[in-house]
This record gives sequence, C-alpha cells and structure tokens, in this order.
Amino acid sequence: MKAYKRLYELLSEGLYRFTYSMVRSAEVAEEIVSDVFIKVWQIRSKLSEIDNLRVYLYTIARNFSLNYLARNADSRVIGLDSLSSGFLVEGNSPAEIVISADLVNQMRRIIQQLPPQCRLIFQLVREEGLKYKEVAAILDISPFTVRNQMAIAIQKIGAAPLLKDIFSSLGTYD
Amino acid sequence: MREEQFWLLVSLKLSGEATAEDLAALDRLLEQHPEMGARLETLHDWWGHRSPSTPRLKKGAFQRHLRRLNESEHLPSRGPWRRRLYLLTAGVAACITAVLLFIHPRAPGTKIPQPVAQSTVSTKKGSKSKIQLPDGSQVWLNADSRITYNESFRGAAREVQLCGEAYFDVVKDRNHPFIIHTSTIDVLVLGTVLNVRSYSNETNTEAVLIHGSVQVTLRGHPEKKIILQPNDKLVVQNGKGVVVSGAGKAVSREADTSRVMRLGKVHFQERDSVATEVLWVKNKLAFDQESLENVALKIERWFNVKVVITNASLQHTEYSGVFEDESLPQVMEALRLTGNFHYTIHRREVTIRP
Repeated sequence: MKAYKRLYELLSEGLYRFTYSMVRSAEVAEEIVSDVFIKVWQIRSKLSEIDNLRVYLYTIARNFSLNYLARNADSRVIGLDSLSSGFLVEGNSPAEIVISADLVNQMRRIIQQLPPQCRLIFQLVREEGLKYKEVAAILDISPFTVRNQMAIAIQKIGAAPLLKDIFSSLGTYD
Repeated sequence: MREEQFWLLVSLKLSGEATAEDLAALDRLLEQHPEMGARLETLHDWWGHRSPSTPRLKKGAFQRHLRRLNESEHLPSRGPWRRRLYLLTAGVAACITAVLLFIHPRAPGTKIPQPVAQSTVSTKKGSKSKIQLPDGSQVWLNADSRITYNESFRGAAREVQLCGEAYFDVVKDRNHPFIIHTSTIDVLVLGTVLNVRSYSNETNTEAVLIHGSVQVTLRGHPEKKIILQPNDKLVVQNGKGVVVSGAGKAVSREADTSRVMRLGKVHFQERDSVATEVLWVKNKLAFDQESLENVALKIERWFNVKVVITNASLQHTEYSGVFEDESLPQVMEALRLTGNFHYTIHRREVTIRP
C-alpha cells in the first residue's frame, strides 16, 4: 500500500501536467492519470520487467490522451501534430528570479505559440526533466526530431524581444 | 555565426544533453559573440526555475483514484482489498527504487549531470585523420567527420558514435561486439573492415563491407536487421529508415524487408584493387556515378571550399572519376570536360553554372 501510494506520489503530478497539456481538462486529465495507475495495478506482477517505468507510464498516458482526443473529435484521426495549441505549463515564478514578469510572460506566449508537437517535446524535456531518448520513446519519434525541435523551441524563446533588450539596455549605459 | 548551430548548442546545454565537445563549441561561439552571453545567462536562470502555478492534481486525487481502482477490480470495499495492496508492495518497492534512482539525479534545481567522460576526434573540411581506439582497432576519419567513444571503451560492447565518414579496421573480440551508431543505422561488427558514411547534409547513409561480416539495424526499427557480406553496399535514406538503392544491381536478401532494405555491390575502378567507396583512405578522391550534388559535397569537404550549383537541372547529372594529388582546378577542369557545365573559382568558392 505504502509503495503503491509512493509510486503514485512520485509520478502522478508529472503525468498530470503532461496529460493536461494534451487534453486540457482537469477532470479528464485526472481520470487518465487514474487509468494509468489502474494499469499499473493490473500489471503489477510484471512491473519489475519494465526497463524504464517512468517512460512506460508516460507512454501509456500519451496513448490514453490520444484515444480520448480521438473519441472526442468527430472520429478524425488524431496525431500529435494536430493537437490544438493552448495551455502549457510554465515554469517560473517571477518573484524568485531576476528576470522580469514581463519577460516571463513573453516567453510563455512564445511557448504557447510553438507547434503542438514542439511544445510537448519542450514540456517533457524542461518540466519533466526527461532525456531526449526518453521523450522520443514516449512520443514515438526519433531522438533527432526531439533534438531539432528543442533547438527550434529554444531559438524562438531566445528571440523574445525583452531578452534581446537585456543586452541593448546594458549597451546604453556605456 | 550560424544561428541554428548556436541555438542547437544552447538547447543541448539547457537540456543536459550536451557532450563535452558541444560545450566547448558553445564556449568558442560565445567568445566570438560575447553579446550573446547575457541572453544565455538569463535563459539559463529562467530554465532552472519551476513555477508554483503549474496545474496540479486536485486534493484527494489519490483517494478518488483508489475508489476507481476498486470499482475496476469489482472488489468489496474493505478487507480483501487491503490484503491485495500488500501483495503489491513488494513488487512495486523494487520499481520505486528504480524510479528514485532515475528521478533523483535530475530533480528540479539540481545541476545538469555531466556526461560520462567521452573522447571525441573530429576532422575539419580539407583534412583527414587516423586514430587508434583503446582496443587497438584503427579508424581513418574522412574530412568534416566526428567520432565519439567512451574514454574507457570498456563494458559489454565497444560503442562509437559517428557523424560523417570513417573506415574501420576492427580488432576481433567476440565477447565485446563493436557497434557503430549513426543517426540512421547501427552497425554491429565482430571483427572486420568496413566503411560507414553518414553525413548529416547528405541524403543517404552508406555502409560498405570489405572483409568479415556485420549486422546493420535501422534506427527505430530494431527488428529490421540485415547481414552484409564482403563487398556489399547498403544505402539507407537518412531520416526515413528506408533503403533507396544500392550501387549496381540491387539484391533483396529477405522478402519481407525488401522494401526497406536493399543491397548492392561496391564498385571497383579499373587499375584499382580497392573499392571506389574506400579510395579516400588511400588519399584518392573518387566519384562513382555520383550526382553533381554529391560530387559538390565531396569537393567541399575534400578541399574545404564552398561549391554552389546555380542550376537545379545540373544537380542530378552523374560523374565518375578518381583523382590523386590533383588540385581543385585540375579536378574541376576534368569534371567540366566530361560534363556540360562552366565553373568559376573565386577564393574559396566554386560556382558551377550551365
């Protein structure tokens, strides 16, 4: 019991963030996370054979989310590319850090405007701290796609006007 | 500075995926462009912080989950239920250890873990290199290529990562298979001589076997395996996992993989006992019915110049030839004589036009 709860505590929030950004409904996301852990229960005797449990559970969460989206989208085939862009978990508390709230907001907007797959990859790498190889396994894409998409995401975020201003404003003090 | 390259390196660094060489390359770029330093530092700060405002599961989610789990198992709500959960504990405890091990080093706010000590040997355009690996295997590295391996080179397998082209003479060691990773294929070697060519700016990845036997696996398709015989040449389209063709007669080894895996034979030029594909090891620049587009890429790397083809229709015309100790103008002149184009060489740039 303790162990099962511990596993839930360890992984549920990350799975929830990931699922939420795909289905964008608190209720549905919670239900999917719950389904994932029901699956864990059902296959409990085989858990020790799983190579990377974390990647495995994210993969299940992804599949459940895509199934949900497919059921609720006029039987259109849903791929990661066709997810509508919207909410993304954003990672900063402006109060804690030197950079301004405006800059953080600007970056958040840029992230929200990333293509859906790019956004998901970015989130899994940054928010969940997953490795490129693991993200590739979860999303069933090549690690090189992850690498390229991350470079694209960072390039766009790095082009935030306020970020550029940091340097130019320093320049004007000279 | 090539912007994409810079941001690629930045993204690798932030994600903790950068190799020592990537980090060194980034440092060099920052030396040249100190104005990027402040931006990068801010990005770094921003990357490392988590927000308390991220969506979280609502309170009591675990209890609600247990109720759903209970329903899904059709269990009575008390007694047997608890016992079942105890049964689970032992199995899951092992997993948690694994999960903890996995999560712990990458917990929020901790430093990006340093990669295992790796050795990288790379060549610039216009230069080649020969190296000996810790196991005694020899590697000739063609221009604009990079090979990375674990410094100790110990463990179950001897693994190297290749970007570009290299000729391998691998020391036999049955207990420690030698694996060459590229972006498109993985080549498992048991003691042999082979050439692997996998430039990121080319359409295809090629593996040519000279002696011995190797097994090639397509990236992302571990079930697609193919065994190469001496003088076999395997051509795989980069990024697709689809084999387009072999030079010469294409042979299908296995019916069910024929669409994905097709083989050909290497080509021998008259007078040479060495296959055209590996003549570069003998310091010969060789083309074997290659498109001008490919020829241009080879010339760029061989002479460290830029080659521009102004007319797309020229790109697919084919050329063959072997050059030894010839200068860039001599090579260009020979190609012009057989082909139907004009060229100009200005400083380090060659322009080819109809």
